[in-house]
Amino acid sequence: MKNDQTKRILWSIVADVPLQSVLEDSRCPPLLRRTLTGTLSWQTRNETSVRKALGMPRIAPRWVAALMALGATVTVEGEAGPTEVLLSVGTRLPHPHMLHIPLVEGMRWGEACVARTPADEPIVAAVAVVEMSDGLVRQARVALTGVWPEPVRLAEAPARLIGSPLEEERIRAVAEAVEKEVAPRGDFRGSEEYRRAMAGVLTRRALEQCLRQEGENE
Amino acid sequence: MSRGEIQTITLTINGAEKTLTVHPSETLLDALRRASYTGVKHGCKTGDCGACTVLLDGQPVHSCMIRATEAEGHEVTTIEALAAGGQLHLIQQAFIETGAIQCGYCTPAKILVTKALLDRNPDPTEREIREALSGNLCRCTGYVKTVQAVQRAAAMLRGEEVEPFTPVEATLGPGRSPTDVVERYYHMAEDEAPLPPLLLSPPEMEPLRVVGKGVPKVDGVKLAAGRPVFTDDIKLEGMLYGALLTSPHAHARIKRIDASRARALPGVHVVLTYKDIPRVKYASGGQSYPQPPPYDQVVLDNKMRHEGDRVAVVAAETPELARRALRLIEVEYEVLPHVLDPQEAMQDGAPVIHDEPDTESIYDAQHNIVHHIEAEGGDREVQWAKADYVFEREYRTSRQQHAHIEPHVCITYWDEDDRLVVRSSTQVPFHIRRMLAPLIGLPEKRIRVIKPRIGGGFGNKQELVLEDLCALLTIATGRPVRMEYTRRQEFTSSRSRHPQIMRYKVGVTKDMEVVATELYLIGDTGAYGTHGLTVQMVGGQKGLTLYNAPYSRFVCDVVYTNKPPAGAFRGYGATQCFFGIETIMSEIADEMGWDVVEFKRKNWIKIGEELLLSKALGEGREGFEQVIRSSGLEECVQVGLEAMDWYNKRGNEAWRQKDATTRRGIGMAVMLHGSGVAGLDMASATIKMNDDGSFNLLVGATDLGTGSDTILAQMAAEVLGVPVEDIIVYSSDTDFTPFDKGAYASSTTYISGGAVRKAALDVADQIKEHAALMLGLESAEGLVLRDRKIIIPDGRELTLAQVALSSLHQQNQHQIIASASHMSYESPPPFGAQFVEVAVDTETGQVTVERVLMVVDAGRVVNPITASGQVEGGLAQAVGFAHCEEMVYDANGHLVNPRLGPYHIYKANEMPRIEVIFVQTEEPTGPFGAKSVAEIPMDGIAPAMADAIHDATGVWIREVPFTPERVWRALRAA
Repeated sequence: MKNDQTKRILWSIVADVPLQSVLEDSRCPPLLRRTLTGTLSWQTRNETSVRKALGMPRIAPRWVAALMALGATVTVEGEAGPTEVLLSVGTRLPHPHMLHIPLVEGMRWGEACVARTPADEPIVAAVAVVEMSDGLVRQARVALTGVWPEPVRLAEAPARLIGSPLEEERIRAVAEAVEKEVAPRGDFRGSEEYRRAMAGVLTRRALEQCLRQEGENE
Repeated sequence: MSRGEIQTITLTINGAEKTLTVHPSETLLDALRRASYTGVKHGCKTGDCGACTVLLDGQPVHSCMIRATEAEGHEVTTIEALAAGGQLHLIQQAFIETGAIQCGYCTPAKILVTKALLDRNPDPTEREIREALSGNLCRCTGYVKTVQAVQRAAAMLRGEEVEPFTPVEATLGPGRSPTDVVERYYHMAEDEAPLPPLLLSPPEMEPLRVVGKGVPKVDGVKLAAGRPVFTDDIKLEGMLYGALLTSPHAHARIKRIDASRARALPGVHVVLTYKDIPRVKYASGGQSYPQPPPYDQVVLDNKMRHEGDRVAVVAAETPELARRALRLIEVEYEVLPHVLDPQEAMQDGAPVIHDEPDTESIYDAQHNIVHHIEAEGGDREVQWAKADYVFEREYRTSRQQHAHIEPHVCITYWDEDDRLVVRSSTQVPFHIRRMLAPLIGLPEKRIRVIKPRIGGGFGNKQELVLEDLCALLTIATGRPVRMEYTRRQEFTSSRSRHPQIMRYKVGVTKDMEVVATELYLIGDTGAYGTHGLTVQMVGGQKGLTLYNAPYSRFVCDVVYTNKPPAGAFRGYGATQCFFGIETIMSEIADEMGWDVVEFKRKNWIKIGEELLLSKALGEGREGFEQVIRSSGLEECVQVGLEAMDWYNKRGNEAWRQKDATTRRGIGMAVMLHGSGVAGLDMASATIKMNDDGSFNLLVGATDLGTGSDTILAQMAAEVLGVPVEDIIVYSSDTDFTPFDKGAYASSTTYISGGAVRKAALDVADQIKEHAALMLGLESAEGLVLRDRKIIIPDGRELTLAQVALSSLHQQNQHQIIASASHMSYESPPPFGAQFVEVAVDTETGQVTVERVLMVVDAGRVVNPITASGQVEGGLAQAVGFAHCEEMVYDANGHLVNPRLGPYHIYKANEMPRIEVIFVQTEEPTGPFGAKSVAEIPMDGIAPAMADAIHDATGVWIREVPFTPERVWRALRAA
């Protein structure tokens, strides 16, 4: 799949395969590799299918958030036949058949999280994916965990970046907007106030990584 | 399970096609264990711990997380496949040689993961090894030796020659500064991680033949092979399954309980409630006779005092039936007001948790104060008058769970002589027998307690928690009964570390001298007293002894709350109180502008000094006067400072600023502990000589994964002049081994070791006397036991086998055998220094522990491999205590994180670099100069981390764990 400016590849994965197979696939981008290791054990990756991970996002919330930030879609079987659904807020997909991950040339990504320990499930994690064209942001997606019961792709704040250069000042503004946009619930690992503050800090960091990053295929 | 639901599946297990009959919902774990693949363990059944790992088509999976039916047509590999034909796999061999096995419960799973890793990657990096093992929780090892085992196994499988796995040894003394020694060690170990332990000895210390060597654990082979050695690895004919119904409320009274529907369920044999059990008061803590008061528990009660308290117990034909029966028990509760905060519990009008009339010895039941302790030493007015500065601070610690991977599990049955056998994962078999008898109405002589191998305990199995219920079910049914805590019940119904509130007041002179120290301690014992008195007394004694101020005062309230009871946990009060004293000492140094090391050095207790409060604060009673006879603390600190490059990092702004938002810090703490309970702990040992010159060593000492069977065998072997393999150890069986207090209070090496040494010396004397008889010598003087022989000064020799055969069959026929007991009125402290480097994210508050070093004086180290494993594992638990582990309750007293995942213990792929250095000393009262090592690693990490966080950020955090939000708020408030 191509457009005029950018090479775009759609990586489609049968929902039956285990997460370990996704990790070992040569097409698996570093962002997804990162979110499939560290917190998730080898055993869990082996016994958890893509379908299960999408249906129960608490198993691999950072991976689901990364898919959201990548703009991934799933094919689900509905009454009217197969439908393609964008992964976004509170997505619970009972019977997805295929997962489709767009891999875009020049895509930049960043991921930041806070946790009690390095391999603990993050209290809050932010994943950002930015597509650039001619020095301007063509697409920006930010997804977070820990600010909603399930991973969430933010609708409003990242849109402020589109059409402009990726700059620190704009990133800070987006981070502030993210703090307002999220609706976290506190628990024993982090209060509502803390999670809200971290949503801003980590979104900023994820986007700053994008700022510093040359596009993967640039 | 109805017949119609049963399915038959065919799969390949360990290379052989098998047909299993399973229920559709049955897990692969349960199906495999039912089919006698008992090398497959379990610790949570929620996919958190990894102990149930098997290979499914060569890939590691949690067998508890997949249904047996999913394995149909696939190939399953369990640990039993690896040692086929009796020959250990090289991976198993490497695990034994490196000391990677402690309790051994999680070992089969780790070995299988290692196999899967090395099958695909024969030369993995350390990072890849740690990532592969990240799904296998281990509470014993700290993962250091596990990584070394995998590296060694990989080399062996690649066909490379490997050197013997031994610690690095060096002499520390005149002409050899710590700098030289440590630099040489670190140079040698450059780019190698993790490092092998370093063993530093004073020049006058003579090496011994067996003691001091890193010999493999005597139980290593059976643990590596996954043989059925744990409590739950047997299945008796006609065995029933017990299950426990627990309280959903923090505080409630049972208004009505009706078990008739449960009793009517086919397959249910008995249901017991408080109505069915005599009301016998007891305390569940496994301690020496008489157990400290109060006796505030009964087996089953009509009042619930915490979520997880006992309501009823069931025995049924299957575990599923037992669980169904629990759901059929109708209970109507009168929910009572509850109190969770110990300070609120002491207020007028607080809910009274123990309002029953038959509990005696509660200090102030109306205010929930179970004990009030006061002790002091020195002249208060004189010493406080000397203080130029007074510092007061409050510190708080959290409720930590032991999280041993093997749950509490017990099997009871009648033997052929109508005696009740209790097979239990306990640290205190002899105490259990004594405590159990009145609760079940049997005389002690009709009870036998057997402790098989234990999958970790750390103090939590120093309690009677299941044995009484299980025994009563066997008595009621006449059938063998198995009971096991679920992981949730481990959190809600077993024990934990006492949360403490500590208010320290320290007086210092302008010359850096600590002249007075006072500690007011509030200990939260939860719903029952159990170890409440003794833990707080030890905490006060240790917390006020390290600096041994001329005036010290300890005041303590031990308080009931509506939370699960706290109990014994490695460190036993000292861990908490050292957080307080070491942090306030660091705070004082910082505020006064003093070098923290110099300040502590000037004041820490030294050789020849008497421990001021040792008499006033025993364990639950008056103690005994103690004098420090050996201490390597100065050397520990010197070596640690050099190894960490302390003075080039501490306060160095360039080193501190790691990046724009991350600051590094380095901190330290010193500590001491004890070696057994002075004047109370007693152990005994029996040694018997066999025809071939080998020996049976019978000890009541309880090896819960620490390696005590091994080090006791080393001590016997040292005296008897034989290798360890000639010592056959049998331990922890109340019928066949002599008494031992059990595994707690860092007592086994010192107390049980003392008994073994005495018994061995007696046997050695008997051997020499018989040899003298055989050779017609007038005296046995000058005879030496060495290399399985008796060496006569004139050059002649006899083998031990010759002496054994002669004594048993020929001359002056008798069994060469001796028993000995040992106790001590001294409890010599091991000393240590711990150093921590952290990185603090100043925007998120996340603290990352980057490096941990412990330099420890444990006297003469009997086995550097097992001892360093103890230290590494203790450090991992200590880092968890300081950093992340906390049982959290909601406003209703419900635990919100009763699973290993959300509770979170450290995994292999997030451990900091951990190093251990031993500075050996000769403790004159210890066997071969040994002191203890088991608990002291717990004691200094929290204050060292607090010190390091302060070094990084300028902020003192006075409450553990140092969670991101706690640190974030402190940084914002600064």
